[in-house]
Amino acid sequence: MSPRLERVEEKMTARRLASVALAAVLSLAACSGTPGASGGASPAGSSSGGASVDLNAKTVGPNGEASTPVADVPELTADEIAKIKEGKHKAALLWAGSGTWYNAANGGAVDEFKKLGIDVVATAEANFDPARQATDVETAMALKPDIIISLPVDPVAGKEAFKPAVDAGVKLLFIDNGIDGYTAGKEYQSIVTGDHFSMGIAAADLMSKAIGDSGEIGYIFHDATFYVTNNRDRYFKAAIEQKHPNIKIVASQGFTEEGKTQEIAAAMIAQHPNLKGIYVAWSAAAQGVIAALREAGRKDVKVVAYDLDATNDLDMAKCGNMYGVALDQPYLEGQVLARLGAGALLGKTAPPFVTVPVMTETRDNIAQVWKTDVNADPPADVTEALKTSC
Amino acid sequence: MTTPTSRLTAVRRTFDGRLSDYVVYLGFILIFAFFAIALHDRGFLTPENLGNIGRQTAMVSIMAVGMTFVLSAGEIDLSIGSVVALAALVAAVVLRAGQPIIAVVAALAVGAAVGLTNGLLTTRLRIPSFLVTLGMLGIVSGLARVLTDLEPVPVTNETWAFIFGSGELGPIPILLVWTAVVVIVGHVVYRHTPFGRHVLATGGNRTAARYSGIPTDRIKVATLVISAMAAATAGMLYAGRLQGARYTLGEQDLITVIAATAIGGTSLFGGRGSIVGALIGSLIMGMLNNGLLLMGLSVSEQIIARGVIIIVAVALSLREARA
Repeated sequence: MSPRLERVEEKMTARRLASVALAAVLSLAACSGTPGASGGASPAGSSSGGASVDLNAKTVGPNGEASTPVADVPELTADEIAKIKEGKHKAALLWAGSGTWYNAANGGAVDEFKKLGIDVVATAEANFDPARQATDVETAMALKPDIIISLPVDPVAGKEAFKPAVDAGVKLLFIDNGIDGYTAGKEYQSIVTGDHFSMGIAAADLMSKAIGDSGEIGYIFHDATFYVTNNRDRYFKAAIEQKHPNIKIVASQGFTEEGKTQEIAAAMIAQHPNLKGIYVAWSAAAQGVIAALREAGRKDVKVVAYDLDATNDLDMAKCGNMYGVALDQPYLEGQVLARLGAGALLGKTAPPFVTVPVMTETRDNIAQVWKTDVNADPPADVTEALKTSC
Repeated sequence: MTTPTSRLTAVRRTFDGRLSDYVVYLGFILIFAFFAIALHDRGFLTPENLGNIGRQTAMVSIMAVGMTFVLSAGEIDLSIGSVVALAALVAAVVLRAGQPIIAVVAALAVGAAVGLTNGLLTTRLRIPSFLVTLGMLGIVSGLARVLTDLEPVPVTNETWAFIFGSGELGPIPILLVWTAVVVIVGHVVYRHTPFGRHVLATGGNRTAARYSGIPTDRIKVATLVISAMAAATAGMLYAGRLQGARYTLGEQDLITVIAATAIGGTSLFGGRGSIVGALIGSLIMGMLNNGLLLMGLSVSEQIIARGVIIIVAVALSLREARA
């Protein structure tokens, strides 16, 4: 390369450098124009909560149906069971996601179907993708199921996704989410769900217990439209504000990827060293929060979340940061859905909206919760850790 | 290799390489300075926060070292995220049986086996590595899901947690030690050994490389093994840091790793790259995540800002190659 060319190239590079550097600074500056406007470090997170939420409101179905406690759902009689067995029916289970909770719900449904002589012909998982779920429905329909149990990924897109099943007269039953425009007894039979309002309130009460009902906490919420998590987040926040006025949410940040909570929690405790507790939208996401606290050497900060998780339970058992979780009962929900589906095949009308009671898990009742919640024993290392006291 | 033209190319390449390194450093300093000023009262410059960035980027940095080798050889590895999950779960399951040393061996064996399969399929069957590793991504993440039936596995071994995650050597977090070791070894191999030169030659001009006696197929297989083993190492570090493994680990890392590597001045088409650049690229990505978060941006705003800056940074570091 000739010296002349080299100099020209250097000059060009310098100019390009300068202009790109400027662009970078500008774009950064533009992005920082609204610090704390949504989410961020300000207490007003984008999952709006607060005074407008009525904590005494009862969970109702998507069309305002009153909720039926799961205990009031009748068992099937021996005659009914015999009749169902004769029918040689088939069922498909089309879940939205995967993990401990889904395993339990799936297990409940599969066990119940087995008792009723109903063959589970397809099990699918949409990985939270509405398009994938539509495909799952179409694929499952090829196997001509009589019952489909599903957690609809998207209440709006679900209307079209489940249409092939509705048209074919399949008995549809949903867990957690409903579908917009569908009516119980027409397009679907029933929704069985955890009481997400009560779960949020229970989580707030857990937090209050964890930190002695006063002090600063961080709030890490699910920053996406998803019925279950949005309601739990909203009710947690409202319950803190209304029931526990001495607890202040001083840091609030949303996430969409579970793996990001570690960064969020690390930033939170760096910015707010007085935090006594951190709330996070579900248990797998809590793992990152706990890792961040561990690294910062903050054994004193307590974490509250939802749902069962072996790793978090071990931390709880070892008297670590994890204080407790609020949970529904996925195994029971799966069982009840299967039972209601079978009943519908006999022409029985299912209650349109069934709720299972909320439970809370702290160090003192881990073993018991595993039994009720997922119908299993806690992992051996959790049981082992529980033998030594804190 | 002593013709005037090739010497000219070599000179030019060295020049370009140096320049792109310089550009990456400048980008790093620029972003750092911006956050330091903008977030001076929001904790960006505290030692804890800088330590956080270092720890948070360790796994991506290590995988970016592996990715630099693969990309430099003119191939790509899309399966790294799934290897992270499988290696972490395998390690956690073996640890449960109380065998920490076997856990390390097993996790690395997972990486070696996946990398070797990727390499052999790519070179023997002449299938592009893009497609081979895409298929492998599915196979390995499926295996990770099956292994423990989607259940997370806690890691209780405290020595393991210390060595592979939360430990500190004096004031230095152990994850930084791991990063430093992998980057230094990677850099030396890449820049100062015949193997490193062969990797670059394979990716730069495969035909020429073959005619000059370089076993290009073996080189490609080796880079894919390096990449998968780097991912397996990252998996062990995740298991140590989170004190548990689950099948979702590493799922989101692929894009970050590729972005970090590209920002660091490694060409996506082979023949050109920098290990130190990859480290700086990874630190830039980590700094962005951290800084945008501390600024109080919402998730959506963070994603947009990150996208803009990645394009700017890659434009800076990679455009030089064509100049």
